Amino acid sequence: MTHTTIDQTTASTRSTSRRTIPWFTSSLVVFAAIILLFVLWWLRPQPFHGMLLQSPERAADFTLTASTGAPVRLSDLRGKIVLLFFGYTTCPDVCPLTLAELKQMRQLMGDQADQVQVLLLTVDPTHDTPEKLAHYLAAFDDTFVGLTGPVETLSAVATGFGVFFDDHVSAGHTASHAAAILPVEHTSTVVVVDAEGYTRLLFPPGMSPADMAEDLKQLISKNYLFKL
Amino acid sequence: MVFVFWRPIQVLPRIALGPGFALVDQDGARLTNEDLRGHLVLYNFTYTGCQAPCPQTSLVMQALQARLEQLDLQGLPVTLITIAFDPTRDTPEQLRAYAQRFAAKPDTWRFVSGTETQLKNVIGGGFGVYYQPDTRGDFTFEPMFVLVDGTGIVRARYRTATPELAIIERDLGLIATEARNSTGAARFAYEAAHLFLCYPA
Repeated sequence: MTHTTIDQTTASTRSTSRRTIPWFTSSLVVFAAIILLFVLWWLRPQPFHGMLLQSPERAADFTLTASTGAPVRLSDLRGKIVLLFFGYTTCPDVCPLTLAELKQMRQLMGDQADQVQVLLLTVDPTHDTPEKLAHYLAAFDDTFVGLTGPVETLSAVATGFGVFFDDHVSAGHTASHAAAILPVEHTSTVVVVDAEGYTRLLFPPGMSPADMAEDLKQLISKNYLFKL
Repeated sequence: MVFVFWRPIQVLPRIALGPGFALVDQDGARLTNEDLRGHLVLYNFTYTGCQAPCPQTSLVMQALQARLEQLDLQGLPVTLITIAFDPTRDTPEQLRAYAQRFAAKPDTWRFVSGTETQLKNVIGGGFGVYYQPDTRGDFTFEPMFVLVDGTGIVRARYRTATPELAIIERDLGLIATEARNSTGAARFAYEAAHLFLCYPA
């Protein structure tokens, strides 16, 4: 008996509250909540696949000789996203693989591909002449530019971009050692310098072309705080 | 909003790319930045002939070495590297003797040096540490410690000869926690913390 009374009371309270909050107010609240969730989801930060750097200083400038024979300065490329990769033309595995991936990345970028410039900086300047670099890169993508120059310059540039290579000259090896064609051990990350000249992203070795393309598109849209 | 006001997660900024290098250690073995991939590395810069009043930055490294075992870094290996900038006198033998003076454990703390050009590129260019030989064969230099993460990115610079160990330990902990949360949904939160500059005070 008592149970029934309580049940009846609760039921009547419920029907009262339903009457005090009109149906349109409650549906408005639900609607607002859905909109809010949608907006929050829309505003969520998009993590990059590569490592995002928030460096306060621009990447150190350099001038090297391009595969076209003309000098190229990093700061001349402002306005474009520059991808730096260090390698050499007789490199057996990592370099052709990475260059093929970078080519695929450009294809995936579609009409935004022309905002991206890929540079191959040689770690074997003794053998990699501008002509040899041009011939080598033509097999991948004719927009890729190879860079060579004095080994001291290349070594300093590489150091600044977190890349080491077996630089036989500054390591104090003999000239004949340096002249021999040897495999050159080197770091195979891809460094991304943004359109303003800041080192912005680091692509670790083995990152997929799709992930690289997605990151670069996001960098071009400049919406790395919010997806808008 | 959450990140702007509550700052629930703190991260260390990704300041710059750590330099690439191939130097020679106290045993004559080559050490490159690639060998240190996956390691948290604290660097200091000095020369083996550095006697007081020359700032003894290696004392800080020694103190930190003693503290490392008590720190919970979730399995993230920490390596200490002393880069010696006297290309003529900082030979592997000298570095070995110097290591013994500071009771360095060979698997935790390594001492490297190289040719003049290499050192200038790496220390001056890459790490941005000022050093200059003087007429008596000593060096004047800016005491500095640099913390580099497992992906080779500089995460902290301590521009003093006597940084607080507690701050370095906190920073090691922050990177270890971030490394553990670098996959799945937690990555969103940590990347958001980077974008909203949730850096420790």
